[in-house]
Amino acid sequence: MPDLGRLALAIALLLAIYSIGSNVYGARRSHPEFIASARHALWAMCAMVTIAVVALWTGLLTSDFSLEYVASYSSTTLPTAYKFTALWGGQQGSLLFWTWLLSIFTSIAAFLNRRRNQEIAPYAMAVLAGVAIFFLGMLNFVTRPFDLMAVIPAQGTDLNPLLQNYWMAIHPPSLYTGYVSATVPFAFGAAALLTGKLDDTWIRTTRRWAIFSWFFLTLGNLFGARWAYEVLGWGGYWAWDPVENAAFMPWLVMTAYLHSVMIQERKDMLKVWNLALIGLAFSLTIFGTFITRSGVISSVHSFTQSGLGPYFLGFLIVVVSGYTGLLIFRAKALHSPAEFESYLSREAAFLFNNLMLIGIAFAVFWGTIFPVLSEAVRGVKITVGPPFFNRVAGPLALGLIFLMGVGPLIAWRRTTASNLVKSFAAPAIAGVATGVIALAAGLRAWYVLTAFSLAAFVLGTIVVEFRRGVGARRHMLAETAPKALINLVAKNNRRYGGYIIHIGVIVAFVGIVGSSFFKTEVKKSVREGQSFSIGAYQLRYLGLSAFENAHLETATARLEVSRGGRVVTEMAPAKLFYKREQQPATKVAIRSTPFADLYIVLAGLDQNGQATFEVFLTPLVFWLWAGGLLMAIGTVVVMWPNVRERAAIAVAVRGAAPVSIAGDPAPGQ
Amino acid sequence: MRFRLRFVIGTALVVGAIVYLITTAIRSTSEYYLTVNEVAARQTELVGQPLRVAGRVKPGTISWDPGTLTLNFGIVAIPDLNADPAVKTVSTADPASYTVTCAGEPKPDMFADSRDVIVEGKLDATGHIVATQVLTSCPSKYKPAQAK
Repeated sequence: MPDLGRLALAIALLLAIYSIGSNVYGARRSHPEFIASARHALWAMCAMVTIAVVALWTGLLTSDFSLEYVASYSSTTLPTAYKFTALWGGQQGSLLFWTWLLSIFTSIAAFLNRRRNQEIAPYAMAVLAGVAIFFLGMLNFVTRPFDLMAVIPAQGTDLNPLLQNYWMAIHPPSLYTGYVSATVPFAFGAAALLTGKLDDTWIRTTRRWAIFSWFFLTLGNLFGARWAYEVLGWGGYWAWDPVENAAFMPWLVMTAYLHSVMIQERKDMLKVWNLALIGLAFSLTIFGTFITRSGVISSVHSFTQSGLGPYFLGFLIVVVSGYTGLLIFRAKALHSPAEFESYLSREAAFLFNNLMLIGIAFAVFWGTIFPVLSEAVRGVKITVGPPFFNRVAGPLALGLIFLMGVGPLIAWRRTTASNLVKSFAAPAIAGVATGVIALAAGLRAWYVLTAFSLAAFVLGTIVVEFRRGVGARRHMLAETAPKALINLVAKNNRRYGGYIIHIGVIVAFVGIVGSSFFKTEVKKSVREGQSFSIGAYQLRYLGLSAFENAHLETATARLEVSRGGRVVTEMAPAKLFYKREQQPATKVAIRSTPFADLYIVLAGLDQNGQATFEVFLTPLVFWLWAGGLLMAIGTVVVMWPNVRERAAIAVAVRGAAPVSIAGDPAPGQ
Repeated sequence: MRFRLRFVIGTALVVGAIVYLITTAIRSTSEYYLTVNEVAARQTELVGQPLRVAGRVKPGTISWDPGTLTLNFGIVAIPDLNADPAVKTVSTADPASYTVTCAGEPKPDMFADSRDVIVEGKLDATGHIVATQVLTSCPSKYKPAQAK
């Protein structure tokens, strides 16, 4: 199997190289048979990479320790499910997994564009193949997944215990899917620049890819946060660690991109900006891999240094300089005659939304690389911790939330004052009322008051929008309210799906603010039978039970949780000890309610029966996950096939005059 | 054109505000990130400053009191594996080491003799580090300890 895997990767590389030549030749000389041949080569490349993946999986599942990768990241006692996930548990495997996803997405894009977009699709496929060549080159020459051990060990070193939980099966694939699928819109953007076909064909063609990528980046970030929350045992879910930042920056840029392309579709403006954003989003996915793999920036959960840094940096430099060069080369052709007309217009709101998103992304970037910069400039490594990121992102998030309320309700081009009053009176009252209620309830932190008021304001604007739409349908089509609501969303899925995402963002934002400002913590060392309290809860330590198998030892503490003298539940935080690695780990006990999470960590045990607990009471954190779920649902609604849109694309692709996709007087999302 | 200018001004104001936020936040939240040897080299000027120190737990120095959640240990410099042996003449004398106290935090799971740690806290006048947090860089399996 290892030989097969190695061979498959070598052939895949050759096929990728061939497909570039065949695509470019076919497109330049108008030989469709060469373009078809290139397409088949990409499909064959995908098949080859799939064979390599299956070969590595076979090695992992059969515990073939002659493979260095298997010996390093698996063991005979590792549960089967984690042998599967060990594919992306190590460096070589995760690069192979990345390449696999890339080859699958490339094949799908090649299939979808086999008959349409004949001007730019061959070049987009060539760009995708170029990216694949980089990764296949790494797999063939630099960090090979099928390297053999000099001496075959009887047992493997096992997967890191922190990776041995079900999030390992969910989080990395989501994030990678998000990262890798951003390559497709990037490739079409680059192809538009290469060919000079600079209208919005590339945007329309890849709109779903961009949303798909955003969907998985959103999920990837949320799953990562949830993983940190459940597994790492420090009571929080986000630490602004470089690894987290690396996943957060592409998300911010993709969010900006998804909003700004709407301006180009409607107003034919911001062409350069959109091309720059998609270039930036792709570059950040490579940058993320660079900083996590190179050891240039130290991260607490570091993916220890490896020699990959220079290769990724080199690739990054090629991508950024090449793409920037193309943008400059096409600058004149990209000039757009349209201009902003009023601050009170939707395009202005979108422009400022973009500035703030990119502002946050830049701040995150700056804070992440600050140690490297300060060392280069001043000779001392200076780090900025979470307070820096919170102080910059906090105020900007408020600005974004505000614009989220304003943008969708004001018209394109300009809005009249009477219109403003009509749209915003009710939401503004809701916002102020929420602020007053919060103040009366004893909240004093200005940030919390502002955040909750703005959240109520935005929810108010969305309610106004839904009411308007439902009202119009009931009035004109005599539909019942529920039917009108369903049809409204179904017929304008881009717009109303977008609102659902916005509701999700607001809900998640409230969860983030609540959990950041109102978290309380108690650390206590107790003997069996002793009690202590946090908030309204009393916790009584009932005792310890032990469990052992071949793979790990577990010590589980039982705690009786009561509230107001009434027993609510029993919770069981545990300490694990992984035998192979001689490494302890923590199993957190969480009781989640919409009001607050009770989060118990068994922090320590000593010989004379004393147990130390670290307990967090985190209000509203439940809503972060609930908001994430709403965002996911909204995104599915947005991506749902829309008959009208398909017709519009078909017309546009056939080369007719540009057609408005939505056919709606003021489509938002 | 009037509007174009007004937009440029508006955009510049937003960008300016973002830059202002970043610079002030950097100024008020930055900490030195130093190795044990770097701390030793500039000890006097660092007293009382917020620090992050990267070092290695000195074997046999760990004492942990679970009752008061107090952790005491010593840290030494992380040996530089990439150092050129020819240049290695400077610091053969007494290797720098510091004692660390961290109270009120549970002991991290990975904390053990000879593990690499990052200590966050302040240096007091006697050359003792009072830590608010001890982070273990996890011995991630992304590159195993030379299994070859």
